[in-house]
Amino acid sequence: MSKMDKLFSKLKEIVGEANVIQDLDQLKGYTIDGKKPRFIVFPGKIEEVSRVVALANQQHLHIIPRGNGTKMEMGGIPKKMDILLSTRRLNRITDNDCENLTLSAECGITLNEVQKSLAKIGKGYFLPLDPPFTEKATLGGIIATNSSGPKRLLYGTARDLIIGTKSVFPNGDIVVSGGKTVKNVSGYDMCKLLIGSHGTLGVLCEMTFKLLPLPEKEATLMLSFAKLEDANGFAHQVRSSQLIPSAMEILNAKAIQHMRYSMTIHSDLNYMVAVALEGVTESIDRQIAEMKEMGKKYGVFDAMSLDSGKHLAFWNALRDFSLGLAEHYPNVVSLKSNFLISRCGEILRSYETITEESGTDCAYICHAGNGILYTYLLTGKSLKSKLDTIVELIGRLTTEAVKNEGNLVVESSPLSIKKKVDVWGQSRSDHLVVRRLKEQIDPAGIFNVGRFVGGI
Amino acid sequence: MEHEKLIEEMTKIVGKENVLSSETDLLLYGYDASLFRGRPDCIVLPNSTEEVSKIVKFAHQSGIHVIGRGSGTNLSGGTIPTQGGIIIHFSRMNRILEIDIENQRVVVEPGVFTLALKNALARYGYVYQPDPASEKVSTFGGNFGENSGGPHCLKYGVTTNHILGAEVVLYNGDVIQVGGKTLDNPGYDLTGVLVGSEGTLGMATKLILRIMPKPEAVKTMLAIYNSLEDAGRTVSAIIGDGIVPATLEMLDKLTIKAVEESVHAGFPLDAEAVLLIELDGLKDGMERLAERIIEICKKNNAREVKAAKTEAERMQLWAGRKGAFGAIARLRPNYLVCDGTVPRTKLPEVLTKVMEVGKKYDLAIANVFHAGDGNLHPLILFDERNEEELRKVHLAGSEIMKLCADAGGTISGEHGIGTEKKKEMFFVFTPQDIGGMKKVKMAFDPEDVYNPGKVLPEVEKTPSA
Repeated sequence: MSKMDKLFSKLKEIVGEANVIQDLDQLKGYTIDGKKPRFIVFPGKIEEVSRVVALANQQHLHIIPRGNGTKMEMGGIPKKMDILLSTRRLNRITDNDCENLTLSAECGITLNEVQKSLAKIGKGYFLPLDPPFTEKATLGGIIATNSSGPKRLLYGTARDLIIGTKSVFPNGDIVVSGGKTVKNVSGYDMCKLLIGSHGTLGVLCEMTFKLLPLPEKEATLMLSFAKLEDANGFAHQVRSSQLIPSAMEILNAKAIQHMRYSMTIHSDLNYMVAVALEGVTESIDRQIAEMKEMGKKYGVFDAMSLDSGKHLAFWNALRDFSLGLAEHYPNVVSLKSNFLISRCGEILRSYETITEESGTDCAYICHAGNGILYTYLLTGKSLKSKLDTIVELIGRLTTEAVKNEGNLVVESSPLSIKKKVDVWGQSRSDHLVVRRLKEQIDPAGIFNVGRFVGGI
Repeated sequence: MEHEKLIEEMTKIVGKENVLSSETDLLLYGYDASLFRGRPDCIVLPNSTEEVSKIVKFAHQSGIHVIGRGSGTNLSGGTIPTQGGIIIHFSRMNRILEIDIENQRVVVEPGVFTLALKNALARYGYVYQPDPASEKVSTFGGNFGENSGGPHCLKYGVTTNHILGAEVVLYNGDVIQVGGKTLDNPGYDLTGVLVGSEGTLGMATKLILRIMPKPEAVKTMLAIYNSLEDAGRTVSAIIGDGIVPATLEMLDKLTIKAVEESVHAGFPLDAEAVLLIELDGLKDGMERLAERIIEICKKNNAREVKAAKTEAERMQLWAGRKGAFGAIARLRPNYLVCDGTVPRTKLPEVLTKVMEVGKKYDLAIANVFHAGDGNLHPLILFDERNEEELRKVHLAGSEIMKLCADAGGTISGEHGIGTEKKKEMFFVFTPQDIGGMKKVKMAFDPEDVYNPGKVLPEVEKTPSA
């Protein structure tokens, strides 16, 4: 029996015959940056994950965890991939304690399924995260990539919502941190370490989240402006007021045009500020009225409010923006920049100037209250001739973000670009500790190697 | 190393007046707000990151331990020099370096008092939300180390949700930046790991905090009960009804008595428990929510619900809560504060069990705590000169932690593990869990320079959980 055959039979022994794929044709669908795994395993229990990982660790086999594959293009090019560990069978809600405002679930369930089930309980609850890929993204993938959405303005991100994790470390140990209490300082906060660790420290198998009751009312206010300065000025005023929007986004004309939500907008209007509001009914009505008034000061052209049904469709289209884009622009490059909140206007202006100078169309959506910007470079069908231009452009945009105390991450791009840039932006002074953490926790170097910051 | 040589080296770095080593000093810095005692080799008061770095570098090269300390309000023995070493006292590094309203951030040195920052922010109409009861003297370095909580953490989250970055001196004196004023910096969330690590991973010399505009309106209410359990049930009922107030605090009879004797907050002496409930946010709809809360209180047998009508009345109610630990200290010479935390739905049943533990050991227990978070603070009263009583107190404390763990909770919500709760870590963690944490310690501080013997129990000596 060859080494690979032996491994195949061991994997089958752990997860069951039906839950290991070795067939080359099937493996093709799971390629990452041109690399194919040798096996795909579908463990159904955390103990099975632990045994698969322990086996891999012992034999120095490289593992990459995967949920529904919505974010596999993130990160550097994998060094090697022996086993792709799919979490799709780990898809149970393990503890639904709405009265305590907590929920525990396994990594392979989609957030959408969780939200649907929570909405039906009592007066209705929700997990306050709204990352992209609404239909498909799994909890494990969302948390491992620290994915978030517009409503982070009010609710924060995974680091504010996760209170417990159960993960399998690279040596096969099942490691628990936190629990189901909203306050917990017993031991180190390992949850924080695992959030956004991109599968480099093991497999996040189960997570406990804080929940909230569904708001009484939700609404959206969309304001269109001719000038960036005015859109930004409005956003700035809302930010410094006592009003409490749950999201506030600035979109440019290209983004409005490509969003899968039909809007009729005047051709002179190049910018839109979309504000989401949720809370008690009285507060929504008053905030809409007050923001409309504020908008006038900044020459708002049109202020339109949406309620329930349209409101949800709008925000789903916004968070899933990149999905629609890929159909028209197969070579689209998605960038995420962070910067000081107050520099929002300057950053948007400089990004516009720089992309214009390089002759590249770009759509952008900015979390105006958080200092986060998603830029989509709309490159044409043939990338080859423009490759150097795009690489140079990414460099210039990174410099701008770094100048404003932030950084730039290439979230997805064609392989040819990935080969020429560091997708994680400029390195930071904490990298030494980041590397030592990786070495301590994954000494054999088997988890998602080569794909995270600094090539770890 | 010889004591004289150590003092000489420290003097070179910070100057003679900033090195303390008299018998009195060693005694004073040997304890904190817990029941533990230790003895440092010396105390050093640096004035800059550079000085901290030099002290740590020297200590590392000489094999001496380093323990950071703010105001010593720690309740779990986290700052006790149980194995000697240099205490770095941050009292001189107490500058607010930057109030950056435009970016909604503040940069402080670790020795700044929590309340001092809040007062400085008030004139801008901004707030830093976490509010540990000891905020008058608790420092940001301490808040960072312990991941401190406070009444307003129910709605706004604990310290970790409000610290976004830090400048940190590593075990060998190297200085790094973690996180920053901006969000989502690529890499592991080292800030998140460092917060609550009780000074065992690194020494923060600057902290970047999140601040937010002051809420437009606030409404504070006091619900009065003839039964502790009814008060507990009300807490579960309010949360279960989908209302998350800014605070939901509970005080029991013994605490009320102590508070009324010292700060006169206007709590009724014949009540078994009171709930201090506060709503904040936009003014719209707040009255309606308040009425709903009053209804829930009444449904759960509150005999009366009063609302503060003026800011002075509100401050008076809060003075009762914030002065509670101090007031209780007048009842007996000592108290042990437990910090067990449970899922909120378990509150009524766990409260009853806590009182049974008091009866079992014949110890008086006062309760004043963050009910909305399920974070209990039973204070066991005693006199440490009575050895038999002291022994019983430790047993009762451990038993309370166990019953919180058994109810699906944990042994510490906001005070930390420190020296006190190490062996109880096994109530909630397996040796594998602790093993994972030890890898983190090894990555940050492989030579055990910082705060040795805290937080993590020895795995080998303990049977598998």
